[in-house]
Formats: sequence, structure tokens, C-alpha cells
Amino acid sequence: MSVLDVRNLSVQYLTENGASEIIKDISFKVEKGEIAGLVGESGSGKSTAMLAVMGLLGNRAVIRSDQITVSGEKPVPGKNAAMIFQDSLSCLNPSVKIGRQIRETVQERLKCSRKEAEVRAEELLDMAGIRNPALRMRQYPFELSGGMRQRVVLAIALACEPELIIADEPTTALDTLVQAQILLLFKRIVRETGTSMLLVSHDMGVTAAMCGRVYVMHKGRIVESGAAEDIFYSPMEEYTKRLLNDARGGSLPGYGHESTENTTCGPVDGNGKTPVFRMEHVTKIFDEREGIRDLSLEIQKGEIFALVGESGSGKTTAARILTGILKEDGGTLYYRGAALNRDRRMDAFAGRVQMVFQDPYASLNPCLTVRESLEEALRAAGTRAVLSPETAEHAGHPESRPAHRNREKGRMEEKIDRMLRLTGLSPKDADRYPGDFSGGQRQRIGIARALIVEPEILVCDEALSSLDATTREQILELIFRIQRKIGFACLFISHDIYVVRRISDRIGVMYGGHIVETGETKKICSDPWHPYTKQLIEAVPEPDPLRAAKIKASPVKDGTGINQSGCPFAGRCGYALECCAGEVPENYLFNGREVSCFLYSDRHSGRRSSDYKMTSQI
Amino acid sequence: MLRYTWKRILTGIFSLFVLVTVTFFLVRIIPGSPFQRGGVSEEVVETIEQEYGLNEPVMAQYFSYLGNVVRGDLGISYQDPATQVSDIIARAWPVTASIGIAALAVSVILGTGLGILKAVSKRRWVREVISAGGMLAAGIPGFAAAILLLLVFSVKLKWLPASGLLSPVHYILPVTALALYPSAMIARLVGNTLEGELQKDYVLFARAKGLGKGQIILTHALKNAYLPALNYIGPASASLLTGSFVIESIFTIPGLGREFVSSITNRDYTLILGLTIFMGAVVIVVNLFTDLLCAWLNPQTRRAYR
Repeated sequence: MSVLDVRNLSVQYLTENGASEIIKDISFKVEKGEIAGLVGESGSGKSTAMLAVMGLLGNRAVIRSDQITVSGEKPVPGKNAAMIFQDSLSCLNPSVKIGRQIRETVQERLKCSRKEAEVRAEELLDMAGIRNPALRMRQYPFELSGGMRQRVVLAIALACEPELIIADEPTTALDTLVQAQILLLFKRIVRETGTSMLLVSHDMGVTAAMCGRVYVMHKGRIVESGAAEDIFYSPMEEYTKRLLNDARGGSLPGYGHESTENTTCGPVDGNGKTPVFRMEHVTKIFDEREGIRDLSLEIQKGEIFALVGESGSGKTTAARILTGILKEDGGTLYYRGAALNRDRRMDAFAGRVQMVFQDPYASLNPCLTVRESLEEALRAAGTRAVLSPETAEHAGHPESRPAHRNREKGRMEEKIDRMLRLTGLSPKDADRYPGDFSGGQRQRIGIARALIVEPEILVCDEALSSLDATTREQILELIFRIQRKIGFACLFISHDIYVVRRISDRIGVMYGGHIVETGETKKICSDPWHPYTKQLIEAVPEPDPLRAAKIKASPVKDGTGINQSGCPFAGRCGYALECCAGEVPENYLFNGREVSCFLYSDRHSGRRSSDYKMTSQI
Repeated sequence: MLRYTWKRILTGIFSLFVLVTVTFFLVRIIPGSPFQRGGVSEEVVETIEQEYGLNEPVMAQYFSYLGNVVRGDLGISYQDPATQVSDIIARAWPVTASIGIAALAVSVILGTGLGILKAVSKRRWVREVISAGGMLAAGIPGFAAAILLLLVFSVKLKWLPASGLLSPVHYILPVTALALYPSAMIARLVGNTLEGELQKDYVLFARAKGLGKGQIILTHALKNAYLPALNYIGPASASLLTGSFVIESIFTIPGLGREFVSSITNRDYTLILGLTIFMGAVVIVVNLFTDLLCAWLNPQTRRAYR
């Protein structure tokens, strides 16, 4: 008998205009001890289906089904079925200590005393891979990292001693490296406890790495199902093929394609050319934690330079210093080769740097129409952007004011129309409010707002991370296309090396406020030199079940945090030498590639002749 | 947290000083003398004023008063030279505080209960009745509610006594009148925030881990939903503890409110000032306490201040 057996499940939502069917007649099974996968883009009804199975949907939903059973019985949340959600921060109560949140679950399930429940809670945390559980029990959710919180959530699910765990996008909110750890943990738990798991995800890579059987969901229906190998190597349905194509790199001429090689706007060799923007030995230290320490980077004209690294590595701080939102503590910034005055940066820089933010919901003023938002950006950047050079000359002439103003207004309007078209919106959208648009469309508006002032540098700070896979793909393509067309320089910041390697020309890998490796995207991704880069790249789950099974992790020390006295990565590096703990490695330069690791020092690899070709030391 | 507390105490003392200064000069602006009364000749008034030091320059009076206050001496009442201002406060405050605390307790319990009911009840009419009742209770001015209660329950029905505070039964009407508005406010605040809180993911997760509805509301949601209500309860309790002039006058209760009104009509400078200082101090202390409690209840600020 299957552990989970769902037959012909339909879910309708009652709205004021009648009922709308969200889930249409789906059936699926999970066998004992297996991890089954349910994939589909957001909005396909995956989460609704899972909540329906658990019996946690609200009163407005009407559920019909021939059968929903867990080992032949009705699913009871907290008894035979448990659920893990995407966002570990929002599903733990912010004002209740971790210990109590686990303990009450144990008590509810086992009806045991408080003391016994506490002992059991510690065991569960230990099982979920949390060191020093007694300490964590006394802490609040906000005091734990995202990965640790997801472990706590798993411990709570395990406290129910369920036969089935439904995990709804459990790693989507996490960094790639942490995601890899959590996925490994899930595998271990399933193996050790014999629980079954249904893993819901939009990520084909995660699904390939984890699941033996896969269901593909689209618009409330299961369109294809079967063994993972069949789904990934010989998909039958168009939709599955499209998902796989998107997951394998889509239509972008990025990594793995040859067309970036000879583009005119591509990266130019650092020698001889002045970069648009350069940072040298910049530091920024916050009260307690370190923002960035000794960061040097340059962005060439017309290139997409990506900063990648886990959260807390200082990417956003670097972007904020570039835009002038933050002021650096030390170091120098250069714009077109000229040093920028620390206190009057905005004068030289106004309108030349623009930013696209992470959250398209929070970064647009809901009370302004799209047109108003764009006009505001234009005005803020001053007349330079509004008037093209020839009109700027005339502007000085004694011209009647109203006529001039009308001209300016017409020019603005024209510009807004053009910008909206460029970002894939329609000029008609200009008079609507942000609330009328979806997340992806809003991000388009955000891009239009940034580009309308014709910036020389566009900063995208995690601009894709709050979007779902398909939308992310579209926006990624949009940014890439516009950038190649207009040729502005772009600082692209992301924690997701998978996204970065497809859009960028060069990559800077950040760890602990340092750039540990810089170089051309293609070279770095196919042949990482720095141990941290290697870990990052290996952690990206490939939509390829056989390869996912074969990948062996590189030696990882389970170190904690950032090494303050030497190489920041020393504590977690499997290749760490003796000198790494106490000395900071320099940047070693090899033909356009920089790596900050003692493995590439003269000391380690010996003195080299000038034509020596460095290769990866790991 | 300690530094924050000290800062708040010091700003509290400063506010009190500003309050004393402003009131001191405002009181002197009131035309007429505390001793001017029908049938008393100018000379007599002048002699008495001289005796009380009122003919000295205002600044000198101000500084000598300030010195006395710092030493804890609020002076004697000009109307009733036999009693100290502090004695009047000591007599009137327990009366005010007793009905104030009772009203506070009633409104917290009633308001919280109704708020929870409003947020979780499946029956639509229950939610509607609570909202409508809350709106009504918050809308009626205190004096109107007090007179209405007096008319219905003691004049017409003769169930409850109309004035004084002789037995527990006497408390019912004034406490009800006082508690009406705060109960409605608390019910609304708790109801609305709890409703929002119950939509959150951690509540869904708590259901997924098998907790019962009561446990989820009481140990999880209410804890996060109570902060806005607490921010209201603080200032509200300060106003309840310093007494309502209107309610105390209507039910003839010898509390702080009534003393305050009569002290103003009598131009009893020292009593006005003494009561102002006392009430100001109560308000400042209660608000300080509320702010500290709110900061402490939020684990993030609690950890940050430690």
C-alpha cells in the first residue's frame, strides 16, 4: 500500500463571481521510504493541492476527491502527516523560543511530560544537524540563520513522527550552498527514519537531485508523471520540455553558448582601457559585523559584471557604496579614471548610476502611476537626461517658457513610451498603478525607471530572486537583451551562481567581504580555481538525475563563519594550509584572472617562469 | 535596556520640570487673586497675599516654589490653610485609583475577550454585534454614558446607588462608565491585529504540526497580536489613574478629578500646581513602564538592549 494515495482530487474556490477550479482532478502516490517530486511553476496549484491533502485549506475552498489516505487512513496534521513550508522565518512564531515551538509539538504528539518532551526536542534538533541544540532551544527564530531555521522546521516536522512529510519549496529561500546541505539532510532523514517525502518545487535541478518519481503540474493538472529518468531524459509533454529547456539555460546566449565570444560590447581587456567604474581597497565596517573589507573591483564599459556569494558576503554593501547610498570607510572610488570625492559623490555621479531592487512590490510607490514614477526619475536626474544634447543647447536661448515646457513634456512622454516598449510593456500601461501588475511586470517597470535616465551603470541587486522560475527567465532575458542593445555597464548581484553564469561577462566571487576570485564567467564556471567558487558551482543542482547522483562533494570542513584574521574562507576550506588561518592571501593575477588563495602563491606552487600557465590547483 | 531606561527616566524628569514651569506661569495669568471673594476688602486681600509671599516678583516666587518641590514640599492649600496639598492628594488619590484600577481591569478582560471572539467567531452575527457595540461604546462621550447609566439604573430602575463609594455596589456604575471606551478600543485593536495574525504562516504551520485552535490563539497568535493593544492600554491607564473630572462630578466621588476642578475655580495656586505635578508624574511613570514592557515583550529589542 502506498503511503500517500490521492485519487481524483479537485479543489474549487468560492468567490463572489462563482466558483473557480484551482486543482483539476489530480491523482498521485508516494511509496514508503521514497522521495517523490511535484514540479511546476508558481501558480500551478502545487501548494493548494498540498494544503488540500493536509486538510489545511480555508473554508472558501471546496475539496472533492475519491480518496486521500496516508497508509490507508485519513491524513491528520501532526500525526501521520507533517508539512514543511518555504519560508522558515515566517512559519516560526517570531516571539516564541525555538525550544518551546518544538516541545509543544512533541507534547501534542506523544502526550508526555514537559521534561520528556524537552529531551526529545534536543534529540530532534541534533538529528536535524544542529550543533549545540540546548543553546538553540533558548533562542528566538530571528537569532538563527536561514539554513538553521529550516533545520528547526524539519525537526518540528519530525517531532510529529509522521509517515509522510510534505515539503513545499523547502530550499527556495536559501543560498545554493545551504540548499545543498539541506537537501542532503532530507535524504539522510528519509533513509534513517523510513519516512516518505513529497518534495514540491519549481526547481528542476532540485527535483532531479532528490526524487525518484516525478509529477509535473501545470495549471492545476498533472500533465506528466513517471520515473525521474523518463521525465528528465525523454519528456513527452511540451510543458515538461519547456520547463527542462528553461532549467538548462533557456534561450540566453550565456554560459555554454558560443555567441558571447565576439560580441562588440563584450568585456574588454583591462589593459589600456579605463574602466567606467573602479573600486580600490574599499572597506566598510558596520557596528558589529563586517560589511566589506579590502574590496577592489572594476566594471568595464558595456559589460555585465556579476558579484556572487552567499548572504552576508557583502555584495549588497558593495552595491550601495557604488550607488552612494552608503559611504565607504576607506579606499578610493574611480569614475572614468578620476577619483571620486567621498563627500560629494552625488555631484559627479547623479543619474549615472541606477538601481533595480530586489522586491518589485516594495520598490514602487503604490500611489504613483507608472508614468509618474518614471517622470519622477527623470526629474530627479536633472535636465541632462530629459533633454538630448541638441535641445540642451537651445534651452539656454530666450525661448518662451510655456513652449519650452511643452516641448519638454512631449519629450518626456515620448521617452516613457519608448522605455515601456523596450521593457516589454505597452505605452498604455503608463497610466496604471503598480497594484495592477504582476511581480514580473513590476520588475519591468523597475527596470524602465532605472534605464529611462540613460545610466552608465545599472546595478541589479538580487533583481530576480523574488520572482518565480519562469518569470525569472523572462526578466533575465530582458536585462540581457537590453544591455546588449544599449551597452550600459551592469553590476549584477545575485546569490544564485546559476543565474549569474548565464548573464554575466565576468564574475567576482565574494566571501566574507572579500572578492576571492575574479575572471571571465565562462572560465570560472567551467574551471573554478578558488575552493569556495568550486563549492558554489558544485552546489547548483543540475536538472540531470544521473549526474546529480554521481557528483561528489569537494572536501568541505564544517567550519563556522568567517575567519577574521587570515583568509576569510579558511574555516570552511577543505584545502586550507597552515598559513591560511593567520595571513590574508594577496590577489594572484593570471592573465585576466585573479584569485585570492595561497594555493596559487609562489610559495605554494614555486617560482614560475613568465610563460607559465596556471591551472586549477584543486 | 538599562541605558534606555535611564534615558527615559531623565527625559521624564525634564518633562515634569517643563510641566511645572508652564503651569506655574499659566496659573499666575488667571485674573484675580486666590483670596478675592465677595465682602473682603482690598487691604485684607493684600495682607494675606503678603503673608503668602504673593507680592514678591514672580521669578522669585517661581524659584522658591521650585526649591520646595525638589525638597518634596508641595505647600499648603490656599483655600484650606490647615491642610497640606500632599494630604489632599493622599486622601483623594486612593479613591480615584480604586475606580481607575477596577475600570482598567474590566476593560482589559472584557476588551481582550471580545476582541478574540470577534477575530475567531465563525458566526457572522457575533462579529457584527461586537463591531457595532464597540463603535457605539467608543462613540458615546463619557458624560453622556454616565448620565444615561445613572438615569436608567438608579433613577428609573433603582437597582444601583447613584452617588458615593460606600460599598462595592456603588462602584458598578462609575466603573462601567469609565470602562466603556477603553473596552471598545481594546476589543477593536485586539480583534483586528489578531485577525491579521491568524492569517500568518506560523499559524498555518502550527496547525500543520497538530496544535489545537485554542492553543494556537492563546500561546502563539495573541502574543504577537497584543502589542498594539498594549500601546493603547498604557496611556489609557494613565488617564484612568488620574481620574475623570466628569465621571467623578456626576457620581459625586471625592477623587482627584473633583479636587482639580474645584482648585481651579478657587484659584488655589498651590493645589493646582501640586495636582498637576502629581498627575504628570503618574502619566510619565505609566508611559515609561508601558514603553519598557513593549520593548521587553519584543524579543528582538529585548536581546538588543541586553
